[in-house]
Amino acid sequence: MSNDTALPLARFTILEVNDANVPLCLRLSTSLAAKIAADLGASVLKIEPPGGDPVRRAPPFLPQGESALFQFLNTSKRSLVLDLASDAGRATLKGLLDKADAVLFEEPAASAPLLRASRATPIEIAAFSVEMNAATRPVSEFAILALGGLLHMVGEPERKPLRLGGHQASYAAGLTAFTGLAAALAARDAGQTAPDVRVSLAEVMQWVNWKAVSGADAAGASPGREGRISEFQIVPCRDGHVAVVYTVTQWPATRTLIGDPRLADAKFSTRAGRRQNIAELYEIITPWFVGKTRTEIQKTAQAKGVPFGPIFSPAELLQTEQYVARGFLADMDHPTLGTLRLPQLPVQWNGRSFAPRPAPELAA
Amino acid sequence: MSARPLTGVRVLDFGLLTAGANTSAMLADLGADVIKIESGAYLDPFRIVGKPDNEDGWWNRSPQFRFTNRNKRGLALNLKAPEGQRVIRELAAHCDVVVENFRRGVLDRAGLGYKDLSALNPRLVFAAISSQGDTGPERMNVSFGSTLDATSGIASLTGYEGEEPRISGMDVNYPDQIVSLFATGIVITAVMEARRTGQGAFLDFSQREVASFTLGEEILAASADPARPNGRRGNREEGVTQQDAYRCKDGRWIAVTLDQPDATLAAFCASLDSTAAVTALLARGIAAAPCNDGNDLLGNTALQGVTLVRDERGGLVKGLPYRLSGKGISIERPGPDLGQHTSEVLRELLGYDDAQLKKLAEAGVTSTMPTIGDV
Repeated sequence: MSNDTALPLARFTILEVNDANVPLCLRLSTSLAAKIAADLGASVLKIEPPGGDPVRRAPPFLPQGESALFQFLNTSKRSLVLDLASDAGRATLKGLLDKADAVLFEEPAASAPLLRASRATPIEIAAFSVEMNAATRPVSEFAILALGGLLHMVGEPERKPLRLGGHQASYAAGLTAFTGLAAALAARDAGQTAPDVRVSLAEVMQWVNWKAVSGADAAGASPGREGRISEFQIVPCRDGHVAVVYTVTQWPATRTLIGDPRLADAKFSTRAGRRQNIAELYEIITPWFVGKTRTEIQKTAQAKGVPFGPIFSPAELLQTEQYVARGFLADMDHPTLGTLRLPQLPVQWNGRSFAPRPAPELAA
Repeated sequence: MSARPLTGVRVLDFGLLTAGANTSAMLADLGADVIKIESGAYLDPFRIVGKPDNEDGWWNRSPQFRFTNRNKRGLALNLKAPEGQRVIRELAAHCDVVVENFRRGVLDRAGLGYKDLSALNPRLVFAAISSQGDTGPERMNVSFGSTLDATSGIASLTGYEGEEPRISGMDVNYPDQIVSLFATGIVITAVMEARRTGQGAFLDFSQREVASFTLGEEILAASADPARPNGRRGNREEGVTQQDAYRCKDGRWIAVTLDQPDATLAAFCASLDSTAAVTALLARGIAAAPCNDGNDLLGNTALQGVTLVRDERGGLVKGLPYRLSGKGISIERPGPDLGQHTSEVLRELLGYDDAQLKKLAEAGVTSTMPTIGDV
C-alpha cells in the first residue's frame, strides 16, 4: 500500500496532544493508538511540548543514541511543537482541533478540558477508572499491573510476584484506545454523534485479567501464580528453554510424544491427577528436552499437534522463518538513522501489510 | 436504543475461546448483531473448560463461556454436514462480518472460507485470527495461550533476575487476551471501507505477531544492536531508578516505583501493613499499589470501573475495556445456551418455516445438546 490515498483511514485527521507533566506510561498508550491509525493512513499530527515528547529520551536506545521506543511508537506521524501554556499555543491548537476528526490525550494534561470540549471526538487515556477519582494519584505502569491483578499471576507462590516483559499495561491500553478511536470514526462516518472514549490502564488490565475474577467468583479462592506447581512450566533444552503447554484434549498426544511408559500410569490420566502429581510428571518429561534444540522440539511436537512453545528473544525473532516469510518485520529507511527493522501492524489486509514511515524529527 | 457505531452490522461468529469469541463480543458491545455458530459436535471449548458440574445441561453453565459470549445469539449448525454448510452460506449472504479462529483450512474444507463466502457476498469483512497467520511455513502450527508468551518474545523478558524465562500461564494466557483489543479496531476500519466502497476484505491476524508487536521497541533495538544485553531483570525496568514488589507486615505484596533510590524501602514496607504502606508512599508522591488478587478485584467496585457487569440472571460477566460517552454497557442478553436461537434466526433471516426447521433438527444439522459424549 504505497499509495497513501489507498490506505483505509486516509480521509481522517487526528491530533495526538502530548502535553507537559503527564506520566510516561500514559503517553505510551496515546502514542501507540495514534501510531496504528497513522500506519493505516490517517493524517496524524503529534503536538509536542517545547523540548519534545519525553519519550524521545526514554529507553531502549539505538546505538546512535536515539530512542527506539520513540521511533517505534511514532511512525507515520507529523509533529508540531506547541507551548500549550501560552495563549498563542492554545489558539493554534484550537484552530487545528476545528479541522480534526478525533483528538487523543491524557487525563492529567492541563489542556484536557479544552480538548474534551472540542468538536473533534475526544479519546482520553487515564490511569484509573472514573470511580476512583484519582487523576492526580502517582502512577507507574508497574503499579497498574499490581492494581489490575496481573502481577499476582506470574512467578512462584512463595516468592515475589513478577511483571510481564515489555510495556504490557500501556500497550494493551493503547490497542484499546485504537479500537475506541475506530468505533468513534465509524460513528462519525455514519453521520452519528460519535461517542467520546475514555480508556484507563487499570481497567484494561483488569479486563485482560478477567479469568482471575471469574475464577474467584466461581470457586471462592482466587487463581494466582503457581510456579513449580503449575501444569505449564518452563524446561531447559539443548539451546535454551521451552514452555510445556498442552490442553486436556492434547494430553494423549503429549504422552505419546514424550514416550515414557511411566506416563501411562492411571494417576496421570486426568487433569486433577496430573496436577496432584505435577512434580513427578515433570521429573519424567524433563529429560526428553535436554538433548534437543528448540527447533527440533517445536517441529516434533507440532507434528503431533502438541503446542509446546520454544522461547525466543527479541534478537532471535529477527531470524524467525515465519516472520521473515510473512514480511512481518519492515525495513524502514530513516533519513538520519539509516535502515531500521521493526514490526509492522500485526494484520495483513487482502495480503497486504502497512509499511510504517519514519517518526518525525523534532522541529528546531 | 439510539444508534451505536455498529448498529446495522451483522456478524457471523465462529469465534472460540477468547481470541475469536471476544473479538465478536466487542463488536456486539458496539451495537452489532452477533450470531454465534457452534454445533453439537463442536462446542466452544470454553463450555467444556469451564464446566462447573456433570449434571444435565452442564454445557450451558460455564462461567468462562458466559463471561465472553454475552450479547450474542447462539446457533448450533453442523459444519460438517452439507445441509449445515448450505444454511451457513445462506446466512453469510445476510452478514457483514465473519470472525473465525479455527485452525487454518477448517472453514475452507467446509466450503465456508473467504473465497467461498466473498463470492456470495463481496462486501463481507472476514477476520481470520490464527496462531501464526494464514501464510508462511508455520501457518498450520497450533498454540494455546502461553505457547505464544514463549514464541513471541514476552517470556524471554519475564522472570526473576538471571533465572529462567516465565510465561503468563493458563489462568491468564496473556497473548489470547490482547488480540481482540487490536482486531476489533481493524474489523471496524474494514467495515467503514466496506460501507464506503461495497468491497469487503480478508483480514489475516497472527496472534503471535500481535504479541511480538507489543515488544516493538525491543525488536527494533535488537535489530540495531544484536549485542544489546537482554533477558530477565525481575521487576526492574530500563530507565527506572528503583522498582520492585515488597512484602508488608501483613504478608501482602505491594508494587512500588521510585524516582530516587531508597535502600530502606524494603524495611519500611516490612514494618507496615500493606494498606498503610501504600497510603504513606502515595502521600510522598511515590507510585505504589497493592498486589491485588481476583477476590480483591471482585470486592472493589470503584477499581472495576466498567470492566464487570451482571447479566439478567445475576451472573457476573465481562464488561467493557473502555468507557463510551461516559458509560459502560448493560447486558441485553446473557451468553446463549447451545442452539438457543437457531430457529429464531433461521426464521428471521432466511424465512424458514416449521417444516424446514423440523427437517434440519431430525437430520442432526441443528441441535441443542452436545454429541461429543463425556468430557
